[in-house]
Amino acid sequence: MLQGDFQPKKPTRKQLIKLSIFGLIGLVPLTALVFFFMFLFSAWLGKPMAVFGYDEGPTQPIAFPHTRHVQELGLDCTFCHRNVTKGAAATIPPVGLCMTCHKVVGEGLPEVEKLQAIYDSGKPIDWVRVHRVPDHVHFNHQAHILFFSQRDAIAPSQVCATCHGDVGGMVKVKQARYLKMADCVNCHRDNGAPTDCVTCHY
Amino acid sequence: MAESAQATQKRQWGMVIDLDKCIGCQACVVACQSENNIPVNEEAHFNQRRAIQWIHIQRYWEGEWPHVKARFIPVLCQHCDNAPCEPVCPVYATYHNTEGLNVQVYNRCVGTRFCANNCPYVVRFFNFWEPAYPNSLKNQLNPDVTVRSRGIMEKCTFCVQRISRVRRQAKNDGTPIADGDRALNPACVNACPTDTLVFGDLEDPNSRVSKLRDKELVEGGRGYHLYEHLGTSPNVIYLKKVDKHAVEEPAHA
Repeated sequence: MLQGDFQPKKPTRKQLIKLSIFGLIGLVPLTALVFFFMFLFSAWLGKPMAVFGYDEGPTQPIAFPHTRHVQELGLDCTFCHRNVTKGAAATIPPVGLCMTCHKVVGEGLPEVEKLQAIYDSGKPIDWVRVHRVPDHVHFNHQAHILFFSQRDAIAPSQVCATCHGDVGGMVKVKQARYLKMADCVNCHRDNGAPTDCVTCHY
Repeated sequence: MAESAQATQKRQWGMVIDLDKCIGCQACVVACQSENNIPVNEEAHFNQRRAIQWIHIQRYWEGEWPHVKARFIPVLCQHCDNAPCEPVCPVYATYHNTEGLNVQVYNRCVGTRFCANNCPYVVRFFNFWEPAYPNSLKNQLNPDVTVRSRGIMEKCTFCVQRISRVRRQAKNDGTPIADGDRALNPACVNACPTDTLVFGDLEDPNSRVSKLRDKELVEGGRGYHLYEHLGTSPNVIYLKKVDKHAVEEPAHA
């Protein structure tokens, strides 16, 4: 060390305490900012990041096991989602349809007992919606299901996985595809469907 | 294949309005409001010239008392082939589609209002407020039509949701779209008690609208366009009112 060199002052004990307090306070908005951007990006991509279980689907009022009904029992998607070839919405079955089987099946299972209670109260089940496109987008299940099933000569229930993923293998149903406009438009272009704005936006 | 033939079939949706039949009952206005989720207009909205009516009836008085006559003209978006509203949009939110419709894309619109200012027919409406409905009307909103939020432009779509529903149905059944199908007609046409409004495909030579156009406009009859001199070439054709008591206006000196 030469004479006349710049030498930073050594911080006093008081300054150190002050700095550490400011640092700790500063950490709070920083973490908040990181979290904010993380959720912003996951919301924008339509696919939550795989942290803290946020990539899972929502918790439903009844833990309905698609795996059991589809994989083990081999029910078709269209057995419950009956309107999928007839209308815009695929529709979730009414409680009465569940009860056609569950009057006699699954006695004593905790989730089936929940279903029984809801059926007795005469109210519908408040399912948490997993797939939703904005209000200005009009998606019609019938048109898509019929087009693919007729073109590829497959059953309507084999088309569902194109957009919804393998729901039969999901314990908690979650969104499998982004379902943003680019996703829709790419598929429309590949399959020769109209890409006129007014096809979906009206 | 029937499907590909349908997809390539040229269409030009148009309307013929026979003013001889219009009685100014406003049924078309009410039908349009309920079909297209248009918020309820209050008196204050009219006073501010901010009421939203995709179709409205213009009323004129003719003659001096006691020989006064009311004249009605239903005015809706003319779906001009050469639309003044389209080139001024900076974000391509309004454009002409292949079926001759002047389309407003709500999710593209940023609300510059250039289109409304450039429209000579004053049939484009800006949402100055969030849409409000009385509680009794909240359950009658049409799920096929977007509820337009504040800050975007809206206008008559010729009930494109009905057209696309009928097209989908026709494709599934393998049948052509029938002219004058009530499921295809816009709400105003269905509501009209005097058959003033006729909707159909102007490209189809057998449709009612193209027959009326050929008879009244091409061969020379009662047909005319609103603001024809502006060169907007609208797809809505008006038929003049016939009045046998009409007095020829004296030539101005």
